[in-house]
Formats: sequence, C-alpha cells, structure tokens
Amino acid sequence: MIHFISKRLKHSLVLLFLASVVCFTLVVSAPGNVAVLIAELRGAVAVPGYVAQVEEEIGLNKPLLMRYVDWLGDAVTGDFGISYRTGQAVSADLPQRMMVTGTLIAGSAVIATLLSLLLGFLGAFWPYKLPDRVSRGLALIGASTPTFFVGALMIYGFSVTFQLFPSFGFNGPISWVLPWLTVAVLPAAVLSRVVRVGLEEAMTSPYVLTAKSKGLGRTAILFREALPNITPVFINALGTQVGLMTATGIIVEPLFAWQGVGDYFLAGVRFRDFMVVQACLLIFLSFFIVVNLIVDLAVLMTDPRIRRQWS
Amino acid sequence: MHDEPLLSVSNLTVDLLTAKSAIRPVDGVSYTVRQGECLAIVGESGSGKTVMNFAPLGLMPTGVTTQLSGSVRFDGHELIGLSEPELQHIRGKSIGFIFQDPMSALNPVRRIGRQIAEMAELHLNMTPRAAEARALELVKLVGISDPAARLRQYPHELSGGLRQRIVIATALAGEPKLLIADEPTTALDVTVQAQILRLLKDLQKRLNMAMVLITHDMGVVAGAADNIVVMYAARTAERGPVDKVLVTPRHPYTRGLINAIPRREDPIGSEFRGLPGIPPTLGAPIKGCAFAPRCDLAIPACTGSRPPLVQSVDSSVVVACPVVNQGRAAA
Repeated sequence: MIHFISKRLKHSLVLLFLASVVCFTLVVSAPGNVAVLIAELRGAVAVPGYVAQVEEEIGLNKPLLMRYVDWLGDAVTGDFGISYRTGQAVSADLPQRMMVTGTLIAGSAVIATLLSLLLGFLGAFWPYKLPDRVSRGLALIGASTPTFFVGALMIYGFSVTFQLFPSFGFNGPISWVLPWLTVAVLPAAVLSRVVRVGLEEAMTSPYVLTAKSKGLGRTAILFREALPNITPVFINALGTQVGLMTATGIIVEPLFAWQGVGDYFLAGVRFRDFMVVQACLLIFLSFFIVVNLIVDLAVLMTDPRIRRQWS
Repeated sequence: MHDEPLLSVSNLTVDLLTAKSAIRPVDGVSYTVRQGECLAIVGESGSGKTVMNFAPLGLMPTGVTTQLSGSVRFDGHELIGLSEPELQHIRGKSIGFIFQDPMSALNPVRRIGRQIAEMAELHLNMTPRAAEARALELVKLVGISDPAARLRQYPHELSGGLRQRIVIATALAGEPKLLIADEPTTALDVTVQAQILRLLKDLQKRLNMAMVLITHDMGVVAGAADNIVVMYAARTAERGPVDKVLVTPRHPYTRGLINAIPRREDPIGSEFRGLPGIPPTLGAPIKGCAFAPRCDLAIPACTGSRPPLVQSVDSSVVVACPVVNQGRAAA
C-alpha cells in the first residue's frame, strides 16, 4: 500500500513538471502582450519606450528559458511570483481562493453522489417503469444542458422567482446552495446512468440469481449483492467527474461572483497574467492527481480482487 | 410409499413471453420425487430441463413473462399461482439450488463466510454470530480444508471445485428438503467432477434430502440418480428408474443418447456417434413427435399427433413413442 502510494506520487511529480513546461509554452506563445496591457492600465501606453520599460521591469526581456527556470525555482519553494494584474503575490491570493473552490467542489460532489445514487436506485428498483423513465429523462436533460444555462435557470428560478437563495456571493451555507446545485447537475446526471446501468448489469448476473435462489428479497439483493459490485465503478466515475468540476468552476464561479481559483484563472488568462495562469493550472493538475490517487485507493479498498495484488 | 411424494409435478407447461416472441420450453411434463430420492433430468441444451425447475420457483430472468400451467406440489403445497413473496419464502429455506458455474454463482466482492451465513440468518433466524458458526460447520461438512480461513476469503481466491463446494454449503444452509442441482459438474475439471458428485450424493443420503439433478452427462446419471426423465424439445421422451432406462432404453432418442457415449472398445480416432440433425426450435408448435425428423424408426403415425406417454412392458417405465408403443393404450 505504502509502496503503491509512493510510486504514484513519484509519477505525479514528473507529470506536474511536464505540465508546467507545456503550460509555460502555451502561455508565452499565445497572442497579446502583458506589458502593453500593464502600460494601458497605467495610462501610459502612448508614452514612447514605456512598453519596453515595463517589459524590463517584469523581466519579459529575459530569454524564455531563463524566465522559466526563474519561475520554477521560486515555485518549488511555494513562491508563485507576483500577479502582473494586481501586483500582489499569487501565493497570498491562493489560499482564500482555494478555500472557495474547495467549498464549491466538495458540496457539489456530495450532492452529485447522493442525487445520482437516488436516481440510479429508483431506476434500478422499478426498471422500465415510471420512476425509471423519470430518472432517465432527468439524466438526459441534466447531461445535455450547458452549465452556464443551468446556472442562469437556478438564479431565475430560486433567486428571482421564489427568492429562496441569494443569486451571488460567498456568505455562508445559504449562498452556497445555488452554485453547488449548478455544478452538481451534470455529474449527477452522468453518474445516475452509471449507477442505473451498473445495477441493471449486476442484477442480471449469475450471483444475483444465486441470491434470489437463497430467498433474498429485491431490496436486500440490490443493496447487499449489487451495490458492492458497482462501488468500484462508481468511485472511478465519481473521481473523473470531481476532477472535471475544476473546469465547471471556471464557468460557475464568475456567474455567482465567487472569488475562487476558476475565477482567478479566467482573469489571469484575459490579462495574459502568466504567473496566475501557471499557478492555477498547477493547482488544477495537483487536484486531479490527488483525486485520482484517492480514487485508486478507494477502489483498492472496495474491490477485493484488486486489493490482494497490492497488500 | 403410500405417502405423498415431496415433489410432484404434473402436466407442467411453461410459456415464456418476451416483447417479440413466445416460446414453450416445457410442454406437459410430469414426474415425482420422494424424500431421499434423486431424480435425474437429462436432455440437450434448450430441451427445457432448467426452465422446468426454475420457472415454477420464480427464478427467471427479468423482462420475460412466464406463464405456468399444470401443477407443482411441493411438501403438500401447490407452487403454481403463488405470489413472488410466497415463493421467496420457499426458495433457499425449503429448496436449495446449486448452479452450473461456481465461478460466477458467488458474489465476487463479498466474503464467503457472509454469503453462507446470511442464509442461516434469513431462514433459521440465527444471530450473526450463530450464523457464522453454522457457516463454519457447513464448510466442514462439504469437505473443505482449513475452513476458518476459507470463510474470510473471497470467491476469486478459491479454485472451481472449492467454489462449487461453497455453493453447495450455501444451498444447504437453510436446511432444505429438496436440492435442485443444475448441471453441478459441467463447469468443473473432470477429476473434480467425480468428487463433487460423490459429495452431493453423500450429503443427499446423510441429510435425507430429495435431489433433482439436471444434467446432460449420462455418467452422472448412472452414478447418482434413482430415476430419470429424458427430455427432448420441451417434452418428456422417456421416464423411469435409472437402472432400467439406461440398461434397456426404449425411446429412440434415449437410445441415441446412450449410444453416443464413447466406449472403451472404440478404435482410437474413430468418429463420434452423435445424433444426426438438430433439435427443433420451440417457437412453432410441433404436431407430432418432436424427435420424428431425426429418428431412424419414424413411421407416418409419428407425425400425425403428439405421442402420449405409455407404460412399457415394465410398468415403471413410460415412453412417448408411437413405434415402441404400438398396440398399447395410453397410460
């Protein structure tokens, strides 16, 4: 087990390094110049030689390789540089923003899990009957509605029409509900299908026939026989969906005026703010890696056929 | 022999209806099994031998509508017409099942001990602790070494033969009166087959259970069964005591089956003596004898109407063959 984790973490470090190289390359090769934007911001873009002065000030005139090595050297010590846009240290902005995004993802993951299990079990308990059709219909709608539109509907329905929840801001649990629901819709829809299809497959398997021949009832069979068999599959799918929530956050955070990592990333991209973009991407990637590691460990715990190979 | 048999099936017909098709895999089958007796049901794949045992107990795949007619009396109660909860009460408790493939019949992610013990909890109202003790006892009973360790293991950690022993132990956990074994040795190695069969036979005797052994292996029949039902295309071709039916088979199909068994005196490299032709599909009703198209002895009377089961010279053997039964009245 320890061996497994340490091996995976070593791989992750290599992955992180390669990702930072790719990310750096992409950002420097994107069109636009942050020095011009800074000059504009200071109202001095028309001053001759001012852009070059800014470039020197923030080190843009140095060779690319040196810029990268400088950044990397600082980054490994936890210093992600100064944001070109705000002039503040990125590492000072990050903790608060990570907390916001963490709240978003954690809540959405819980809601998506509960909702998908509920819908999936409803469908599996009454296959091809009304509850199944409703669950299937909801999954189809949920999976095919773009998240920004879901968010707009949430605000329109729960905030404008019924005034149950605030439409923006990060002020305690009441204000978290709408963003959570918005992010949870798509994963819940996808995962409910994973549950439903997995349960159906399990319910037609020979061991379920055995369970039936033992005199177990439908509920006992669904929960005792079928559920443990789909758990590893479900955890895998959940991991992917939770990872993808970082991307959904980029859309949903600005929608609800949340100052999260996704919002930070978007602002960074708009301003060619390499320091911010790079730091956000590394956070996203680290999150993916950690989620995947947790998923693999959880699958290891839930599937005895895999467990024996590692312990 | 004056008492009612434990299981008494008469004129059982099963229709399976799916969205697109309707078939009749079991057509007017009758037999009885007494306590302590073993009945073998033999026939080719698709001859209805599994369906006729599983359908009356509600063990059919979902999405298929099963229609039953006739009568299945078990332990003094009529099974046909019972609701699913009533059948559920009988399954496992009064009737234990053993399946063909022990590789897939056990839940891969649950410990073996739990899978056996839950039977005792469910049917014998035992506490989890007592049920675990009973599971240990059962695992010993089916002849598994290191029983305590086995209970903590998962199915994939055991060999096929051991898994089949676990399946047997599970089937026995509710103290059933009848054991229905659906090809219990088919998926096993030849060497293990004999052990499992001996175990089943031995347990059946010791626990004085009735057993229905579904198989297509004539060797299994000869070694284990008291009586035999030969099925062909959903119908009974011949029925009687094993020692009579196997020694002097009367129905041409039974004769063909027995003749198809390879013999020691066969020269090496000689061809198998199979039965020519293929069994009919069960979708369309068959007017005459279902075996007539493949039968050497077929006469015009065979295709006219369905041949009834008629007592042969030996009154314990009944045969459905117009040629064999010429001049005899229906039983």
